[in-house]
Amino acid sequence: MKALEREPDDRMLIEAAQREHSHFAELYEQNFDRVYAFVARRASGREEAQDLTAEVFHQALASLETFKWQGAPFIAWLYGIAANVLAKHWHKLGRDPEQLAEDWEQGGTDEIERRAMLAELVESLLPDQRTVIVRRFIEQRSIREVAQELGRTEGAIKQLQLRALENLRDKMERRI
Amino acid sequence: MNRQDMADELDGQVEMLLRSEDCAGAASDPLLKLAAELCVLPNPEFRSRLKDGLVEGWIANCPGAGSRNTHPLKSAKGGATSGVVVQREGVERAQALAGIALLTGKRSGLFPADHRSFVVSFASHAALIALIASGIFVVRNPALKPTSLTSELTYPLAGHGGGGSGDHSAVQVSKGTPPKFSDQQLTPPAIVVRNPEPKLPVEAHVLGPPDIKLPQSNHIGDLISSNIVMPSNGTGGGGGAAGDGFGPGLGSGKGPGVGPGSNGGYGGGPFRPSPSITAPRAIYDPEPEYSDEARRVKHQGVVVLALVVDPQGQARNIRVARSLGMGLDEKAIDAVRKWRFAPGIKDGIPVAVQVNIEVNFRLY
Repeated sequence: MKALEREPDDRMLIEAAQREHSHFAELYEQNFDRVYAFVARRASGREEAQDLTAEVFHQALASLETFKWQGAPFIAWLYGIAANVLAKHWHKLGRDPEQLAEDWEQGGTDEIERRAMLAELVESLLPDQRTVIVRRFIEQRSIREVAQELGRTEGAIKQLQLRALENLRDKMERRI
Repeated sequence: MNRQDMADELDGQVEMLLRSEDCAGAASDPLLKLAAELCVLPNPEFRSRLKDGLVEGWIANCPGAGSRNTHPLKSAKGGATSGVVVQREGVERAQALAGIALLTGKRSGLFPADHRSFVVSFASHAALIALIASGIFVVRNPALKPTSLTSELTYPLAGHGGGGSGDHSAVQVSKGTPPKFSDQQLTPPAIVVRNPEPKLPVEAHVLGPPDIKLPQSNHIGDLISSNIVMPSNGTGGGGGAAGDGFGPGLGSGKGPGVGPGSNGGYGGGPFRPSPSITAPRAIYDPEPEYSDEARRVKHQGVVVLALVVDPQGQARNIRVARSLGMGLDEKAIDAVRKWRFAPGIKDGIPVAVQVNIEVNFRLY
């Protein structure tokens, strides 16, 4: 239901962005996490996923004027671009792009949704917890480095890490 | 087990997870499963950098762009993230409406069918078949690429940068030596001082690399001027300083540097990357094509292009610094001409910057 309610917003935003490219910012913010999650599932690491995500948004902005509203959510169009970018990338690597379509059919949406939701929930953590999560998992720094940066003991950082993960788990369960 | 023990034990498992090659593994513990998923989230900086890149690159430069505003995305930050949560119905609907648009796939309904795609596809396939039939297709996958932007962290030497100004005097600027180079110009050079007792005296400089030493003397002026008789600030304008050009520099050029070029430094030409100037960054870099001639004889190598990335992020004055021949130089230029860059930045302002780009041509 919520998706249907969003459609007029999507349409207005798209039409606004087609008239005035500055509005693409809102489309970008709304769809970044899902596009990244879509790409990251089939990429071999964060760097590759980031490169491919950048390519998707560049292509989307470049061809925005060709987009015609036909009722499908904007994310569907972005997924299409992402699939083509992935297919081209896979082709270069000698992999079979057909697997992408199979993957999509085999419930890949659940995982994409979960990852997009997780990215959003990280932003909702308390600042200290968020910092620990970003430093520890995304930047993959050691407990000692994080402790030095935040001026806390290593034990305190480990507890923050535990609390942050528990919070994320609880929030995820409430959302699902 | 108390909280600290739990935290220690979890961290031990997290540490093992982070050390594993793909940071994944079949974690059964929900917290570890979350940790594995967190490992592949994008870097927050990447998210904002990409947005800035879209702004600075495409929106400012795309000929079809509806707006020339260079800061719209920044203003849009916040508020929009609430829309990130996608309802499953939305995605499934998208899936049902769309499918994945792969030419090779069974499902191709993501976009409304566009007959032009089929025409292009037919034409390209026909061309490919003709190429194979003619026996000149030497490799199965004639790949091209990877292109890379190499930016040397050197400041402009003579021949790059420049500047000039003047106060519209009737005679050419006096011969002399320019003041010292500095990364920041607070006061432009002047030969005829109009205000001999300023409230806050500041030593005059020209903008350029401080480590470059030019000949110094007691007479500020243009090194190449022929006026050795009459003190003059020169015929130029724009800074009330010294020179026949325009801007707060010295010489016949334009800008805060010295000599006949523009923007800064000494000589003629744009900046080069330095610690105080961020190098341009390619944000849209389509691959070059391979020339038929080179493919036929399996000619490979690197073309080095020297070019200026202008403040709008476009490649200008492209020239071949290292040639590969067989049409590959031209293919490299064609590709790089389409590239878009986040321009070099000096003191927060986009500036033209000289860079070299290596374009790799490889047949796999």
